[in-house]
Amino acid sequence: MENSFIERAKSSCALGGAIATISSLPRSIPIVHASGGCAQTLSATYNLGSGYKGPGYCSGTMTPTSNITENNIVFGGEERLEEQIEATLRVMEGDLYFVVTGCQVEIIGDNAALVTSRFKDRPKPVLYASAPGFLGDGFKGYEAVLSSLVKDFIAPSTKKDNKTVNILGFMPGQDVFYRGNIQNLIFLLNKLDLKVNSFFGDGETIEKIKNYGQAAYNLVFSPIHGQQTAQAFEETHDIPTLTVDLPIGDTGSEAFLRQIAEPLNLPKAKVEAVIAEEKAIYYSYFQRFLEITGDLDYQRYAVVSSDINYAFPLIQYVSEDLGWIPHLVVVNEEPDDEESSAQYVKKFETLTAKARPKIVFEANTGQLLRHVRESWPYNHNDKYYNQLAPLFVIASSLDGSAAQKLGANYLPVSYPVTNRAVLTKGYAGYRGGLNLAEDLYSSLVSNR
Amino acid sequence: MVDKNNLLEGLVYNYTSATEPPTRDVRIEPTNAFLGSCDSLRRAMGKGCAKYNSRYFSQGVGCQLTLALGIVRTFQNVVTIIHGPLGCGSNNIGLAGFNKTARALKGKPANDVIWIHTNLDESDVINGGVVKLRNAVLYAEKEYRPDVIVVGNSCVPGIIGDDIDAVLEELEPQVAAKLVPVHCEGFRSRFVASGYDSAYHGLLKKLVEPPIRIESVLVGNSAEEERLEKIKRQNSRTVNLLNVGSTSYGDEVELSRILSALGLKVNVLPLYGHIDEIAKMGEAGLNVSICATHDDYLIGHLKERFGTPYVIDTLPIGIKNTNQWLRVIGETMGLVEETEKLIELETSQLLEAVEPFKPILSGKTIWVGGGETRIFTTAEFFQSLGMKVLGLKPHNFDRFAVPMLDDIEDPETAVAVAAGQPAEELVYLKRLKPDLYVGHGGSNGWVVRLGIPTIPLYGQSQNYMGYSGAFELARKAARALLNTNLSKKIVANVPLPFKQEWFDSNPQDNIKESPQEEPPVRSSVQ
Repeated sequence: MENSFIERAKSSCALGGAIATISSLPRSIPIVHASGGCAQTLSATYNLGSGYKGPGYCSGTMTPTSNITENNIVFGGEERLEEQIEATLRVMEGDLYFVVTGCQVEIIGDNAALVTSRFKDRPKPVLYASAPGFLGDGFKGYEAVLSSLVKDFIAPSTKKDNKTVNILGFMPGQDVFYRGNIQNLIFLLNKLDLKVNSFFGDGETIEKIKNYGQAAYNLVFSPIHGQQTAQAFEETHDIPTLTVDLPIGDTGSEAFLRQIAEPLNLPKAKVEAVIAEEKAIYYSYFQRFLEITGDLDYQRYAVVSSDINYAFPLIQYVSEDLGWIPHLVVVNEEPDDEESSAQYVKKFETLTAKARPKIVFEANTGQLLRHVRESWPYNHNDKYYNQLAPLFVIASSLDGSAAQKLGANYLPVSYPVTNRAVLTKGYAGYRGGLNLAEDLYSSLVSNR
Repeated sequence: MVDKNNLLEGLVYNYTSATEPPTRDVRIEPTNAFLGSCDSLRRAMGKGCAKYNSRYFSQGVGCQLTLALGIVRTFQNVVTIIHGPLGCGSNNIGLAGFNKTARALKGKPANDVIWIHTNLDESDVINGGVVKLRNAVLYAEKEYRPDVIVVGNSCVPGIIGDDIDAVLEELEPQVAAKLVPVHCEGFRSRFVASGYDSAYHGLLKKLVEPPIRIESVLVGNSAEEERLEKIKRQNSRTVNLLNVGSTSYGDEVELSRILSALGLKVNVLPLYGHIDEIAKMGEAGLNVSICATHDDYLIGHLKERFGTPYVIDTLPIGIKNTNQWLRVIGETMGLVEETEKLIELETSQLLEAVEPFKPILSGKTIWVGGGETRIFTTAEFFQSLGMKVLGLKPHNFDRFAVPMLDDIEDPETAVAVAAGQPAEELVYLKRLKPDLYVGHGGSNGWVVRLGIPTIPLYGQSQNYMGYSGAFELARKAARALLNTNLSKKIVANVPLPFKQEWFDSNPQDNIKESPQEEPPVRSSVQ
């Protein structure tokens, strides 16, 4: 995808991603070195747009920020930053303070790294990451923050614990269901006696994060996001990386468990036992819907429009677990290199339905409708017209009116989600697959 | 001190030959860093020394680009282009669904809110981003056939010097849409409200057409012609009711109802307006503001250029201020008698209606935070119901709110002027422990963590203004006090991110008082 303008981009900028990430770390305080509006605007992007996750411990209007103005643009903002860091340490209670920089100060060349380094002997860590908006979307800031943590904070450890994994790829806010997804994966991996380091999961602390260098493996649940952090783990802490898809439901979870079994040296019998147990529970619930599925013919054509983390897992779930027709996948972002794109497209060949989905990379939200229309013959006033119906669109809240125009049922899953309120829900794992079934079916029965 | 009856005294407004108006920092010299009392604030404003104050510890003050976008993205059939990286105005994402619903509520076509980021990246920072801007404009035209394309300029092109006006001028002959540049780079102003001026500057320059009839009057300038013009305007009976982002449909219905009762024809605009309605703004007989912080540039300009009279001295929240607002309108439109009759009827009905809430509210204490004119009028209303105002937190403070200080009974009532800055406000609240907090969006969620029940200062689906709005506000406050369990649970379980030392400190020590009155450097960085 060439770097161009984007119509209704489904993300914020690097600084927005950085703030969302820091404010989701346990008891962490972002210190934003930028103009006065960045912290609030960018926080609001995720606080409202991500199922109303809110500002957390310290973001939104609470975010400490240097509020640089025209004066600083002329004379530099380093002094102001130093003053703001000092004041923040005096006012705000936290276990970690994190300086991040915006466009203005990066263009004028403030050395925020140097200023931050003057605070290295304070009782609580003060870290720095460069995250100006012009670096790109929110994921860029997520990577910048976590990479800094990995390189500058996490303690080196030669001793590795074979039973511990780091999980990456879930950006708070950008993944609306990140907490639920993380908890679902912890639940699943705990069954295999694995300990999970997640940065954002329940019960995490900055003290625990300091020891992430002891993990034996990085599991990255995305072909592109979290990879930079994983690389930092590899380079700084010698921890190898395994890239996996976000597992949703029976097919995805089983594939995931089998994929990690060998590299992580998991006992085969144990893995098989967990798969069997979870599968049995999964279908003991799912079978409840069989009657309505059959009686009301709830098989659907499926269109997915989402970020790259969700695109394949969502279509895989509806195709392989629900038996829907995987028709079109619009991926709202694309890897930087053609080879990775081609690899991503290749994943879809593993789908076993006779119907093959069309895969499109498209960042402009308004183009979804065009892609759907181009995917199917027009009705030339034929007496008998094989319509693209009944149709289900799984996308974001910005795609609601496209779904409406298509006469489709619709569930927003990928960011942004503004017409649902989200707390614990996650779609990862077997239990997450049941959550997704509940939500898809709830949409189908909502008028009854 | 500014004359209470002429709040625009000494201000000039016609900057149409400039690409952008002066920021509020220099245009109306407000302050957003002053902690004291109603009395000490009045004295500080009089001396004019509060305006360069700043802070040691600071939190976000907001971005003028987001406020400018808040206006222009509501227009009908508009595409907004944000010339900048993906983050600028990305809070659009959280508000797009709401704006769409608001369109439907107001009986307008419920189309999606459409915006485009030029998505400036590292290489654009070096090479400039005008090519992307050009492509974005052409895409908007081709895909959406909008009536108007508004381009909001952000910090990056502001610093590197992209000439967006030149790009738009070049594209004008190629597109059917009107092209409106809005210069609202965040770093340029310490006062977010400058964003309103930026948006209205673009609107006044590119969309509003001069009323035809004005020509003949401006040729001569005799007192007789002025008198005739006044009569003409009064006879037109048409008023612009200038809505803002925080006015709800309910507010618009109520205020239109009141004005219609005086026989006036009401245009509600510019938000959610159609370009043709906006084009004819200059034709109305009167511009009625419901918030000086939003509108002074707009109405000042329309007065200066077209001679349209205006009402700006208050906003219609509570009984006293709704009556006052109405009286000024009545006087300007030559409807004094009718207005007094209406006020008498409405006031007596309302007083009777709020009577049942008084026993619940009377004697209770309150703190109000948000936009200056809104919080003073809201506080005055609750005071009139027997509540005690413990303090107010205006986002900024300027000449338009100075007269409102008189409405607060106790001159020692705390005033903490601060854009955002929940840290300071929360210290006050922890000490004063009001029974109820009325706050701007983004503040209520922190205040409830102190165990203080809250109600929102405004609500886009609720009625706050006019007589029915006063009733709703009283009803809402009384309801909030009927069950305060949530705030009790939250204070016991959800922490605020402060050190105890901060709560023990004097927040006034956080203000860096400006030693001299020299203005800060103002130069363009190109």
